[in-house]
Amino acid sequence: MPRITIDQREIDVPAGSTILDAAESLGIEIPTLCFARQCEPSTSCLVCLVKLLPSGRLVPACATLTADGMQVESETEEVHALRRNTLELLLSDHLGDCVAPCSFGCPAQMNIPQMLRQIGAGQLREALITVKADIALPAVLGRICPAPCEKVCRRGNLDSSIAICELKRIVADVDLASAEPYLPPCRPASGKRAAIVGGGPAGLAAAYYLAQEGHACTIFDDSDTLGGMFGREIPAEKLPRDVLEREIAQILRLGIETQLNTRIGRDVSLAELRDQSDVVVIAVGWTAAQQVPPWGVGVSGGGIAVKRRTYETNLSGVFAVGNALRGQGTTGIRSVADAKEATVAIDQYLRGQPVTGTSPPFTTRIGKMDREELVQLSIETAAAPRCASISGVDASAAAQQAARCLHCDCRALTTCRLRKYSALYSADPRRFKAERRKYEQDIRHADILFEPGKCIDCGLCVQITAAGGEYFGLTYIGRGFDVRIGVPLGHSAAEAFHQVAAECVAACPTAAIAWKKNTPTCASFAICGDEMPATPASLPGR
Amino acid sequence: MNPSDLEFVDETVERLGHRTEAVIPILQAIQSHFRYLPREAMERVCRLTDITPATIEGVSTFYTQFRHRPVGQHIISVCHGTACHVKGSELVQDALERHLRIGHGIDTDSKGVFTVEKVACLGCCTLAPVIQIDNVTYGHLNSHRVGEVLEAFLAEDREGRPSGLAAAALEGPVGEIRVGLGSCCVALGSGKVHDTICRTLAATGAAAVVKQVGCVGMCHQTPLVELIPPGGGPSKLFARVRAEDARAIVLSQYKPKGLWRRLSHRAAGWFDRFLSDETPDPVADRAIDVRDRPVCAFLGPQQHVATEYCGQIDPTDVDEYLRHDGLKALRHCLEKLSPEQIIEHVRESGLRGRGGAGFPTGQKWAAVRATPGDKKYVICNGDEGDPGAFMDRMLLESFPYRIIEGMVIAAKAVGADEGIFYIRAEYPLAVKRIREALRRLEDRGLLGDRVLSTDFRLHLSVKEGAGAFVCGEETALLASLEGRRGMPRLRPPYPAESGLWGQPTSVNNVETYALVPWIFRNGPQAFARLGTEKSKGTKVFALAGKVVRGGLIEVPMGITVRQIVEDIGGGVAGGRTFKAVQIGGPSGGCVPAELADTSVDYEALTQAGAIMGSGGMVVLDDRDCMVDMARYFLRFTQDQSCGKCTLCRIGTRRMRDILDRICCGKGQKGDLELLEHLSRTVGAGSICGLGRTAPNPVLSTLRYFRAEYEAHLAGRCPAGKCKDLIAYRVNEACIGCTLCAQKCPADAIPMTPYARHTIDMQKCTRCDTCRQVCPTQAVYVE
Repeated sequence: MPRITIDQREIDVPAGSTILDAAESLGIEIPTLCFARQCEPSTSCLVCLVKLLPSGRLVPACATLTADGMQVESETEEVHALRRNTLELLLSDHLGDCVAPCSFGCPAQMNIPQMLRQIGAGQLREALITVKADIALPAVLGRICPAPCEKVCRRGNLDSSIAICELKRIVADVDLASAEPYLPPCRPASGKRAAIVGGGPAGLAAAYYLAQEGHACTIFDDSDTLGGMFGREIPAEKLPRDVLEREIAQILRLGIETQLNTRIGRDVSLAELRDQSDVVVIAVGWTAAQQVPPWGVGVSGGGIAVKRRTYETNLSGVFAVGNALRGQGTTGIRSVADAKEATVAIDQYLRGQPVTGTSPPFTTRIGKMDREELVQLSIETAAAPRCASISGVDASAAAQQAARCLHCDCRALTTCRLRKYSALYSADPRRFKAERRKYEQDIRHADILFEPGKCIDCGLCVQITAAGGEYFGLTYIGRGFDVRIGVPLGHSAAEAFHQVAAECVAACPTAAIAWKKNTPTCASFAICGDEMPATPASLPGR
Repeated sequence: MNPSDLEFVDETVERLGHRTEAVIPILQAIQSHFRYLPREAMERVCRLTDITPATIEGVSTFYTQFRHRPVGQHIISVCHGTACHVKGSELVQDALERHLRIGHGIDTDSKGVFTVEKVACLGCCTLAPVIQIDNVTYGHLNSHRVGEVLEAFLAEDREGRPSGLAAAALEGPVGEIRVGLGSCCVALGSGKVHDTICRTLAATGAAAVVKQVGCVGMCHQTPLVELIPPGGGPSKLFARVRAEDARAIVLSQYKPKGLWRRLSHRAAGWFDRFLSDETPDPVADRAIDVRDRPVCAFLGPQQHVATEYCGQIDPTDVDEYLRHDGLKALRHCLEKLSPEQIIEHVRESGLRGRGGAGFPTGQKWAAVRATPGDKKYVICNGDEGDPGAFMDRMLLESFPYRIIEGMVIAAKAVGADEGIFYIRAEYPLAVKRIREALRRLEDRGLLGDRVLSTDFRLHLSVKEGAGAFVCGEETALLASLEGRRGMPRLRPPYPAESGLWGQPTSVNNVETYALVPWIFRNGPQAFARLGTEKSKGTKVFALAGKVVRGGLIEVPMGITVRQIVEDIGGGVAGGRTFKAVQIGGPSGGCVPAELADTSVDYEALTQAGAIMGSGGMVVLDDRDCMVDMARYFLRFTQDQSCGKCTLCRIGTRRMRDILDRICCGKGQKGDLELLEHLSRTVGAGSICGLGRTAPNPVLSTLRYFRAEYEAHLAGRCPAGKCKDLIAYRVNEACIGCTLCAQKCPADAIPMTPYARHTIDMQKCTRCDTCRQVCPTQAVYVE
């Protein structure tokens, strides 16, 4: 039984064990992409490299057998840097968007493609849940949002963009008109109190998300109504007041208290608020923000100064969001997005955890696609043109419009191991600049979408199809940098997978082989799934 | 495709077998029949054999030999070896593409006559730049000669090429006329010289036999003809013989017999002179003497061990080999030594593998011997693929019996009863000679079931590679022999433990085997006395590039780089300045001129940032750009990467991207640091030797020529090589002859008779034609 050390921890392993096996029994997670228990190690991805001492040789952990006295380094800055580099090289030749351009264009990073698919499937309730995971006031914003998402919608380069904003509005209107509008579940009461100063979009959104985390919220506003600038400055024909009121009422139903006609600095001081509550969230808008310096809150450029990602002001337990930070030009969607992001940091603060806030979800990006590529991408989508506007709540028209979506987002968003480890190791997809490949997809199989650009040439599917008795299966085609995995002799994916399609999908470390129907099941990629840590806290920084 | 065409496939499968390992030979046969691989033929193979569609597609797209599209009537292979690169193969390629109006993914001209393909190295480095049209090689090309070469080829094709003529039967004492017929010599016309000599002898009835000998090594002097008078006596050596000189040279020794023959000969001779308008005295012009200073300098420091008797023996003549101590070493090993003693002798000699890594040969054999197994293999690695190296080709072509002898000794030592020569398909003559030699040995019972009439049984065969540099890596080579894509695997286990078909296997290089017989004939100590403390014996190098006397040389280890370049090579040609020597090809590095006193041994070269490698040595002068050299090698390795592991597949590509940027003047701040960092990562983490050594050319040039990289970042190429950073200008020496304007393929030079010409840099393609054709050297690069 060989005895080896990994990162100075000793372990006896059965003869014939690999370094990867040994690490596993020590609870050390060495990343792997091309490794699967049922296959021969192909040692192709090299993200499992470890360092042997004293020789300094780098070897793949997945295929290197342990030998008595072997000394291995795995979790060191040097080895991590190497793994990061390897991941960055893979990313430089990985053609896919983890997160769709529309989601990235949305300040709240709403999972738009998922909403569209749900609308397309007639699941308006599910679509609403998707929307409200990121946008607290969709009926309102569905009417007034400048829709940056639509400006970057890839379909816009083919014919015209998806009517995202309008569809969101319909989803929200249907919900508000229903007998029982959606109320999100809330975590058990935390016993913590949050004072939210300002009842405009940012304050409302902050209350909405903090309440879901189980914190008791009170909104303070100096006027007699909630809604802030939405109610004051937007003409009623654009934003009917009953829509605003109903959407606010729905938020308050989470048990949020309000204290109207109360001005901070006149009726109650910030110090008093801080005493009464565990946390204060300043969401007073631009005009009032000018009055905060006497409260002791730091400003910069006229707005309240906060830390990036966490929205912390200079005062402990005091956060700020919305127009109060940026000025009047800020859109409603940005304010709502601020509140959602700040909630992560505030919740961390309230629970006594390190306050790191949230960072944008990890994604690779294809960038601009040419017409030929767009045509390919659109083959299985609705050919309908964008309609000028959909009146009222016509669900079938909405479904038809939603079906125009190109499904730019990745089908393996939550299962992709390349994404998981890239995020974990803080890999930068743009570290190595390169000309990208041409986008291709093979849709000829009824259930499987084959996107060779996403393939990292791990070879698992080649082994699985060969062992599984597929006549054609998959093979390496070409050599070197140009090697691609494909179906031999010019055949299509339809002929590649008869017996082992499911095994291939399960083994594929990316979404090169994916179920067409497969869609990420999380509500929001920024906070989806425990397995996708947004910040690699356990890892040394770059 | 009609069914009768597929009958060929059926026959081929019957002939070559139904098992997976037959895939490469089957594909080679199909391609030589159809000239490409029709899909229907491959589908048919899959239906008839164990070969799966995945295998056939994977294998046929891995090796560059295989073509999936129909090709033109003739294939032009443009050599992009190192020597050709430094002598302008890119320009030749551009000129060909321009001439045939192809490029941008189209490789065949519109009439389907010529298909142009790039090849890694044709191994004719001393003739650089070289192209091969079908089997005819053209050397010393340049961009403006491309058109005439194609014309000449087509003309010869119509009129028929001269074929070999048999010498007349002779009686009495006969002389011998030796003609070097290595691939390089043939490329420079030694085939035609040979034919002319045969024809002359037939016409005159002279008492001489023509003998083909292997490579003499003096590639700068080819074609070489040596006359040995009947009954012995001092021989005469003639260099750079042209076909038209050959008759006079023969006749200087052998007077025509009989009056009529003499007369007709005189008439023909007179007629020749009348037509050619010159007074040729080829006998005096072409004669050289081994006592001549340059010849002496070239041959002097050399020590022929692997190349013993070079230029003297007929490569395929068994009897001649036997007369020159052939098979003595083997007989000694079989009759006097136990396998353990054989290994011990090899250990004592200090022999290290000549394939590049320098692993002790005795230790490798001992490991194979020690691994239990009923079946063991010996492999001869003849997949020499380094651009700029052709030692193994020359050895295989010139000394087939010696290599076979070394291999049989190895087989005896390790306990193998089967051996395979893996030779790259680009070396048809080498393949032919080894096959011929094996057949002759078997016919005489010297090889096979009873080697030299002992109980020792050994069967040797030849497998042709299919165009993959990476198959020089032993695990990739074995994969290729098993009919798979040549993808290296992680070692250990080493082939000594688990090699071909999982059996213990000894894989050794051609030159390693070629040294073995000498060691046993002269004793291990004699070998160990040559060389340095850790690097024993001699090493064969292919000396090429910007050197006066290029060729194939064998020198004792420990000689300095300077001795090789200056003494043997005669220094840098054309009055330029010696800048560096690239040693070890794509896995090696550049030794700069200031380190020319570096000893040529494994350790010293590695320390200098190069490697011994397989033995390519390309001399560079001040007009060679070191960034371009690094990029050249990176392109090569990147192109030859099997594509398996991330660091090599994508890492080398990204290194190349950075170098491309730098060479185009688009380099960015931080690029050098990124390049260096990436080089170290790729070198440290790649799975096999190809990836691990691929960054060497970059690292060594960064180490010695960093300033040149920085100049590129600032938009200058000091050597005047990188197309995007240079301009062509005309100085006052221009006499207005209009030649450049006539030859310019891009119409970038307006015709201005009797006035100084100007070049429009917007239109200029930097093809260099104007500079080459200018009679007054008025065109210069800025």
